[in-house]
Amino acid sequence: MSDKIKITPVNRGKRPAFFDDPAIDQLMAIVMSMSAEMSVLYDRVDTIERLLDNKGTLSRDDIEAFRPDQDTEDERNVRRNEYIARLFRIIHEERESLVSHDKMDEYNELMDELAKP
Amino acid sequence: MVQQQKQHDFLITGTHDEANRQAYTANLRMHVLAKIGEGLKDVYDHKAAPAFEKATGRAPKDGREAMKAILDDPYGKTWSSMIHTCQEMIWDSVRPAVERAQPEFNEKVRGLNAQHGSLTLDPGVEVPRYVSASDIHLMPGNYHTEHDKDDSTQGALFDRGLYLYQGGFAGPLCDNNGRSQAEVIKRRWPDFKPQKILDIGCTVGNNTLPYADIFPDAELHAVDVAAPCLRYGHARAEALGVPCHFHQMNAEDTAFEDESFDLIVSCILFHETSRTGLAKILKECRRLLKPGGMMLHMEVPRTEGLDPYSAFRLDWDTYYNNEPFLSTWMRTNVSDACVDAGFDAEEYIHIAAPDLGSVPDEEFERYATAEDSASSTHGHWGELVLWNMYGAWK
Repeated sequence: MSDKIKITPVNRGKRPAFFDDPAIDQLMAIVMSMSAEMSVLYDRVDTIERLLDNKGTLSRDDIEAFRPDQDTEDERNVRRNEYIARLFRIIHEERESLVSHDKMDEYNELMDELAKP
Repeated sequence: MVQQQKQHDFLITGTHDEANRQAYTANLRMHVLAKIGEGLKDVYDHKAAPAFEKATGRAPKDGREAMKAILDDPYGKTWSSMIHTCQEMIWDSVRPAVERAQPEFNEKVRGLNAQHGSLTLDPGVEVPRYVSASDIHLMPGNYHTEHDKDDSTQGALFDRGLYLYQGGFAGPLCDNNGRSQAEVIKRRWPDFKPQKILDIGCTVGNNTLPYADIFPDAELHAVDVAAPCLRYGHARAEALGVPCHFHQMNAEDTAFEDESFDLIVSCILFHETSRTGLAKILKECRRLLKPGGMMLHMEVPRTEGLDPYSAFRLDWDTYYNNEPFLSTWMRTNVSDACVDAGFDAEEYIHIAAPDLGSVPDEEFERYATAEDSASSTHGHWGELVLWNMYGAWK
């Protein structure tokens, strides 16, 4: 028997930072990993519900052995994509705001206008 | 909906939770790539390009300047940080399952009783620097690292990671590129009946095997420098029941005799080589082709003639997805390179076509058979991409 294999980068180079403070890049990576863990947990709950619907009982082995068929995976993909869209709403909003007017500018202009004697 | 990856004896997906983490990561990456990525155009038009123009007195003139403008914008920073993280998450989601499967997995591959094809390894083959210089696509360990004797680890990591990276859009066997190119050849030249086909830079053979479907009378060979991918690819082909002969060889200098093949193909290989590597590979193709034979190499869309924004979308990967030679490839004149390798300028081929199945069949047929299909060759990742196919008749 050989030692266990560890897959490690051989020539990846330095991780790029896109924000002025690399800690924001790290925070982004943490948030995204956390989003994955929530999805994994949701899928596990989904597996449990499906097993209960079908069999009325549960065992850990049943959960571990469960693999979604294509229909189940399609449903999960829809749910995951809706979840992702909710999670990153703020980013989509920034984009949407680009093509419309800036409400704050409009408000300030209005205030300036009204402040005139 | 996107089909799940086809299960076979050697595919590693891991535990219940690991498989779901992988699936989520693929969903996440496609969302960032396509949904958030499509916002980059608005950001570029309405914010980044005007800011660049204000600072410099002119509009961005090429992909690099467009990239600078976008990376100065918060949306561009966020998108870049996210898509880079997704790329890391893809490999991280597969890695524990592949590690845990060892060393039993290598034993299983070693114990394979081949019924259809063959595997010929040559430890004397050196991995060229353009492969070893960086972990391409950020895949830890790259294509070629051997962690143990007779190791297939990197092949297993690549096969699963590739499917997730493609978000399943290249089909359950990750073979849409090879299948599409083979279909283009068959439909465009119905009288061309290759008897011996060679795929160069085959990795795990995912884009090689469709040639066996589409040209069932041909003998199929594939070469790569990376032994772990070849071992895995051979096992995978056997598990799928597809006859293919895998060889560890460098496509710049193979051990095949002159005029061995009717058709030589590659799939998204050239942008992972180098300028000198490419020149040698084209010369080697010419040596290996029989008179009347053809080579055809599929590649990503080119930045040549593209607007700065579109060029940016393609250049981004060069810098941040560890594809150091992508940018050089984008600026290579392929027609001249073929002539330099000894092919006749009149025999040069350039076709552009979308993936089979990504458009209605009549539209695919039109691209496959049109005289001037390469006149419009743009496309962004996450949108309809037209693949370029370059080659020549000998």
